[in-house]
Amino acid sequence: MKRKSSAVILLAVAALTVSSVLPGQAAAKKKAKDVKIAAVVKGLDNPFFIGIKEGIEETALKYGIRANVQAAPGLNDDVGQANKLDSLAGQNYDCYIVIPISSNNLSQAVGKITKKKKTVINIDSPIDATSLAAAGGKVTSFAGTDNFAAGEAGGKDMIAKIGTGKTIGLIAGLAGNVTSAARIDGFKKGALAADPTVKFVGPENADWDTTKALDKANAMLLANPSIAAFFAANDQMAQGISKATNIGTKKIYGVDGIADALTLVKSGKISATISQYPYVMGQMGVQACIIAAQGGKVPEKTITPYYIIDSSNIDKALANNSSRGYFPNQLPPGTYDNPYEKLIKK
Amino acid sequence: MDTKSNPGSASKPGADSKLSFKQRLRDPYFWSDWLVVVAFLLVIVVFGAINPSAFLSIYNLNNILVASAIPAIIVVGQTFTVATAGIDLSVSSILTLGAVIFGICFTKELPVWVCMLGGMLAGMIAGIINGLIISVRKINDFIVTLGMLSIAAGTALVLSNGRPVQIINSGLANVAINEKFGVPYLMYIAFAIVVFSHFLLFHTRFGVHLLAVGGDPDSARAMGVSIVRIKVAVYGISGLLAGFAATLAIARIGAAEPAANTAILLNSVAAVVLGGVSLFGGRATIFGPFVATLLLQALSNGLTIIGVASYYQYISVGIVVILSASLVRNVR
Repeated sequence: MKRKSSAVILLAVAALTVSSVLPGQAAAKKKAKDVKIAAVVKGLDNPFFIGIKEGIEETALKYGIRANVQAAPGLNDDVGQANKLDSLAGQNYDCYIVIPISSNNLSQAVGKITKKKKTVINIDSPIDATSLAAAGGKVTSFAGTDNFAAGEAGGKDMIAKIGTGKTIGLIAGLAGNVTSAARIDGFKKGALAADPTVKFVGPENADWDTTKALDKANAMLLANPSIAAFFAANDQMAQGISKATNIGTKKIYGVDGIADALTLVKSGKISATISQYPYVMGQMGVQACIIAAQGGKVPEKTITPYYIIDSSNIDKALANNSSRGYFPNQLPPGTYDNPYEKLIKK
Repeated sequence: MDTKSNPGSASKPGADSKLSFKQRLRDPYFWSDWLVVVAFLLVIVVFGAINPSAFLSIYNLNNILVASAIPAIIVVGQTFTVATAGIDLSVSSILTLGAVIFGICFTKELPVWVCMLGGMLAGMIAGIINGLIISVRKINDFIVTLGMLSIAAGTALVLSNGRPVQIINSGLANVAINEKFGVPYLMYIAFAIVVFSHFLLFHTRFGVHLLAVGGDPDSARAMGVSIVRIKVAVYGISGLLAGFAATLAIARIGAAEPAANTAILLNSVAAVVLGGVSLFGGRATIFGPFVATLLLQALSNGLTIIGVASYYQYISVGIVVILSASLVRNVR
């Protein structure tokens, strides 16, 4: 092990020497293991962000880096999160990975980092371009999921399974939440594209909550017995729907890919979960940091993968199991495009 | 109980010049007043020793001051309510409500100062309602403000429809980012409020009445002090300051956010206790809680800088609060 790492260092030194000897070539400014990375994610009281944190920490370790990952003091503590980023900005990090709580709250802090000529990588939820420009901030690269596209894929897939002319019940997260709206709107668009005669009931807001979703599903089924399938904007709510009194064998789709949902897909209680991969977002964030520190050209925007996990691929998804709790399938069960990995100089 | 029978509520902690230094060290009130300063210096020294280049840099000390400004203003209001043996649990949602009102004014293209006054007015009204219900209906402060916590948070969500309003204004951003003589503008504003409140509490009749109501409401009433007036005033001030802090929060994050941020509430109560204000009322200082606010922010900043994982930060902050509170109790 020790010999291997020293060999890697030797190689890296050799590469560095060669590249510095050859003029005109893009020189690797830093070795991957010397890149200092700090990250500020959202509150760690949500499994999704724990998944991202693990993606950052473990990917960094693979390159020999110990990343300092900090979280907002709470999921709604927007000012506290800005304070955290400010605290880290005073230190000698090469790169900052950020997930803003709202689309505006980190803009000024990012502006300060940009003034210090350091790199900022934005993952998961985008920072608003207008407020960022007003604060003089710059984001080198963004990697995140397209919730609309994930919903759309789910809509198409569901119509293929249940056939045309059916009624679908929709259960959304918190009222006014951007992620929930994107997933629901995407789902509707996908379903309508596959079957213009499809009818919807809802969306009803169940605030991302399992019990509330169960109550809503029961009420919706009483009022509209013709509902043939349900789409929930997250897995916890899909779980709730699966416990509804008259649910029978109606199809249920959720979004996220949390551990409980995968178990329910395996047992057939939930038909599918459109899985997203927070771990991959963290991974891409770290890789983008390394590319930037090496002076490479970083891809501006990358959409992280989503997969529809149903009975056809659930075994493969569960085979990726790790000891981690909520997002056991850290990596997708199939191939996905990672434009960052290949740009890192060894 | 008036201020004379209680040396700890003297305007300057430990200012009694008749006592020798040794005697003063044995005076429990000296310690409950100065403990927070000692703890603050300790935090600075410890983190300064671990990572001097990052923690003690001007840039970072500035960060601590910026982070402390908004909580410091909330803490002043909280000190007033606690000094009357009350507590204001609604500060965080009143701040949110103020921010939402600001956002609504801003989208109607009203001038920024009108928006700011709108937020302050909303905060003050919510606070006055708190004070009226507490004193006229004689309902426990804890219950009334807990109710207001929920009402203000809900009103903010209803009025904003749950959506944030982006507020891009170069004047506000200027206040949030810039500094003079190495001290951020935000801190000048907070400090001005602290000094003014100190004056209000210790050099006016209102302050004397306030502490009297907190110390012994029955005697205060017998002396002709109106409990209703004092309670309405302190909760009104607390609400007004929360509404004002909303403007600074907007300046700092560039948006009026509809979701309440409860961290600021917990922080304010912790700072008041750490600062040596008696939860039973009648004894207060303004500077103690102010230093406690700096202490809590320096602690959070320092733990972030030395890379302590977020999970442990909660524990350390909690330990510091409980430890200091029990130390104060011990020496008393």
